[in-house]
Amino acid sequence: MTKIRMNRAIVATLVLLLIQTSILPWLVPSAWSGRLLLHLPFVMTVFVALLGGRHRAFLFGLGFGLLEDMLFYGHMIGAYAFGMALIGYLIGHAFERKLSTLAFVLLLTGVGSGLLDMLVYLIYKLFSLTHLSASFVFYWQVLPTLLLHMLVALALYLPARRYLVRQVVSQSEGAEGN
Amino acid sequence: MIVIFKLFGTKRLFILMIGLILFIAVMGFTLRRSGLTWPERFVNDAFGTAQGALYRPVGAVAGFFRDLGRLSDVYKENEELRRAYAKYTQDQIRYNEIASSNERYKQELGFKTRQEQLFTYKYVISQVIASGSNPYDKTIKIDQGSHDGVKTGMAVVTVDGLVGLVSKVSEFTSTVMPITELDPTSPDTIQISATVSGKEQQVFGIVDYDKENGVMRMSKIDENANVAEGDIVVTSGNGGVLPKGLVIGKVLTNQVGDFGLTHTATIQPAAKFDHLYEVFVVMTPDPDQP
Repeated sequence: MTKIRMNRAIVATLVLLLIQTSILPWLVPSAWSGRLLLHLPFVMTVFVALLGGRHRAFLFGLGFGLLEDMLFYGHMIGAYAFGMALIGYLIGHAFERKLSTLAFVLLLTGVGSGLLDMLVYLIYKLFSLTHLSASFVFYWQVLPTLLLHMLVALALYLPARRYLVRQVVSQSEGAEGN
Repeated sequence: MIVIFKLFGTKRLFILMIGLILFIAVMGFTLRRSGLTWPERFVNDAFGTAQGALYRPVGAVAGFFRDLGRLSDVYKENEELRRAYAKYTQDQIRYNEIASSNERYKQELGFKTRQEQLFTYKYVISQVIASGSNPYDKTIKIDQGSHDGVKTGMAVVTVDGLVGLVSKVSEFTSTVMPITELDPTSPDTIQISATVSGKEQQVFGIVDYDKENGVMRMSKIDENANVAEGDIVVTSGNGGVLPKGLVIGKVLTNQVGDFGLTHTATIQPAAKFDHLYEVFVVMTPDPDQP
């Protein structure tokens, strides 16, 4: 029996969000800055969905999506909040608490990232805030971001699991933690 | 359809629908709003402090390594700068003379104080503290807010040229929307009226950004206007949104536009829009204030 530490997950994601907004832009070369748009809170949402279940992932995705939308409020608020909450819930609904191999986590992160970016694209298209074609967006931004998200998930999954999950042998011992 | 119902259950689908409607309402509500509520300002300012503490040192380190890579160009650059400086000194003398005579003419013509101060802009230096990763809302954050006198709609420039407009302001930070986001057909766009430096009286056009090709376009240029390759495009100040004389970019090509009546020029933006470090907020004197 395992349990996720939500407090730690939230603190870690806040730190990752700071890194994403203030450090990563410097590491991406100029030519790729419009194409590699990382969302570290999204990767964490996938982890939370797999380790902690769908309801936690829903709230987690909603909260951090909303935070990101608010911090970089350009045209409107809500696209990432909606997308991350929905995809966190769906992944949690389908795969929560199953024994997941690393390859499977990477696959889920990749598919989820693609779905999230296309969903956000469709929302902006719906409000006619973007006029790029879907195939262009997919090739130009979604695909490279998706691959990079998978790499990030590869780097983060094992440390995140060690840091976030606590083994609960029985109810009485669970209170002590480890 | 039945498969979907079986997979999720009616209750979940119902909640999903409600959620969808709720979110579309939120998005629609926040779409054309310019102010911020206090929770938004609070979150922005709280994060802004931490972001600023990270962004600047990292930028300094990154800049150091970039400079190391460019050491070989420094000699050539220095040579060019010297030449430019010599020309600048000559121009400065001419400028002083013209400025003083201009001042005298204004007095002789009886300009009102308001008209005289219309084009005295204040450039306030400001640090970039973070940049967003939403591909359709690429915004950057700067560390000056309403506390420092920043207002919505002010222009933000670097030493190279126009970067964007202040779109949202909180107490100690504000959000800047780059001109690359100003889509001419989107519902909340701002049109930049532009002209060509040195030909201000004859050239006029409207600038927007072509996302797929990564260049800017200046449309609705009169077909008799003489726009050549390499001309510097600057803001004209007409329309009252942006101050005049801010550099936008350099003309690449100029051809007949969509309807054959006007010309459309493509422009290479002068400013870079990523890896920004220091920007200036251009503060215009408020004409409504005494």
